[in-house]
Amino acid sequence: MNAMMTCALRKQKLVSQRSTFIILGIVGIPIWNVLQETSAADTEAASAAMPLNMLSPLLDDLYTLLSISFVAILFGIAWAFYLEEWLPQTHWVRRFIESVVAILGGIPSIFYGILATGVFFSDAGTLKTIGVVRGPQDTGDMSALEPLSFQQETPVFYILVLTFILMVMPLTIKTAQAALRSVATPIREAAYALGASHWQVLKKQVIPIALTRILATGCRAMSSALATVALIFGIYTWQYTNGPGEMSNRFVLFLGSALFLSIFSSVLIKLDASASADPTHPTR
Amino acid sequence: MNYSIEAENLNLWYGDFQALIDVNVKIPHGQITSLIGPSGCGKSTLLRCFNRVNERYGNVTTEGKIEVLGKNIYDTDVSLPELRKAVGMVFQRPNPLPISVYENILFGLRIHSPMRSITKADADAIVEEALKSVFLWTDLKDKLKARATSLQLEQQQKLCIARLLPLKPKIILMDEPCSALDAKGTRAVEELMEILAGTYTFVIVTHNMAQARRVSKECIFMFLGELIEHRETQSLFTDPQHEKTSDYVHMRYG
Repeated sequence: MNAMMTCALRKQKLVSQRSTFIILGIVGIPIWNVLQETSAADTEAASAAMPLNMLSPLLDDLYTLLSISFVAILFGIAWAFYLEEWLPQTHWVRRFIESVVAILGGIPSIFYGILATGVFFSDAGTLKTIGVVRGPQDTGDMSALEPLSFQQETPVFYILVLTFILMVMPLTIKTAQAALRSVATPIREAAYALGASHWQVLKKQVIPIALTRILATGCRAMSSALATVALIFGIYTWQYTNGPGEMSNRFVLFLGSALFLSIFSSVLIKLDASASADPTHPTR
Repeated sequence: MNYSIEAENLNLWYGDFQALIDVNVKIPHGQITSLIGPSGCGKSTLLRCFNRVNERYGNVTTEGKIEVLGKNIYDTDVSLPELRKAVGMVFQRPNPLPISVYENILFGLRIHSPMRSITKADADAIVEEALKSVFLWTDLKDKLKARATSLQLEQQQKLCIARLLPLKPKIILMDEPCSALDAKGTRAVEELMEILAGTYTFVIVTHNMAQARRVSKECIFMFLGELIEHRETQSLFTDPQHEKTSDYVHMRYG
């Protein structure tokens, strides 16, 4: 009976994994297509309407964003460890950071997007010149459009980075803390009572158990960051260009990656839940 | 008389709340001593003082002296890992680590010895010996690679005892070890304790007075942070000296 149940469980797990891969494929293929198309456009020596090397700035931006959010996520995870594992619950630093995180984390990411968009498309002085050097509204010439680039070390770049950090870090801190808290106290107690030091408990029990969830956390934070940037490009496309072009490609690429990461993180959480589920005590 | 644990004028506060008031206790070597009393009387706190696990919760102030095996554990030169190696602990809910049975038993040994210093043959022998001394070997010898959390509760609790043994502790503290087990499991764990009692000193917190009577040689009654009575178990139950003790053992409250 028991064997049959485990068999059924395993089958169910397999099915869910398979459907996950199918979903990943469905999401992944359009992204791949966009990449293919853009590179094709690139090699076909580009028409006058699209004067730019499309693939490379597109991916450059993606990589820049990913690395910024990666660093922000690493910092977020480090903060989560520090708050959860080292500071006592009543410590003022912990209370302060947790309340800031609660406030910032409660803001929907679209507001961050609007904030960043406002900076991008502001008409005031220098700031404007960085995002779009010669906007269509200046010259009326679509071919003069330059890409939004995150590569330039300009105030806007830093403002964008700051927006990112503001958006990504609270989310990461909150969810990574939850992941660490999900490692049951009895497990920690058991390890401490056997004489393990704090580091050993972290290294041998807490991190292995919480790792999947922390990874999922990172993916989710990165996904929300990408979605916000996609939104910026979406607004840009909608406001300044007519029809699909480089910006809308970015929109598709970033939104696609965001969706992919978001689904990936859900998959991680699901796998984690089914791995830690206890077949003999299903209610626990 | 040979004492494993001697506490003198032990006072303990959680923040402003005083959980232990002037506790003086001597726990004899090589036998089972039980701690009884109503909820919140400080028996678990006292137990957790003996290997200093309660300090992890923060906000704890302790005064006084506890000598474990002749050494004051509040001295500055005491190493907590060494103390916890000598004073093992079993918890209320069986809490095997979510790794294999095999690794559970070796966990303590691995954290106390340098990397890769345990050979495979040694490890196998240690696991076999530990499981044999808690009578789990026949049940589990084919399931050593199974996740420890997938065992039956009774087996889990026995495993929690077994994983202390490779560290060669002198004292084993038990915080209501049977409250999550059924009658059969309780009986099994009690029998195990009786067999091991010659080699190890057991201190057991229990809410079950019948259990205290069955297994322990000496019994300590605590009430609101104070140690009221500490005597031989039978005489504490049949002829309590203190009014509160007699009320409790005759189940007039608690």
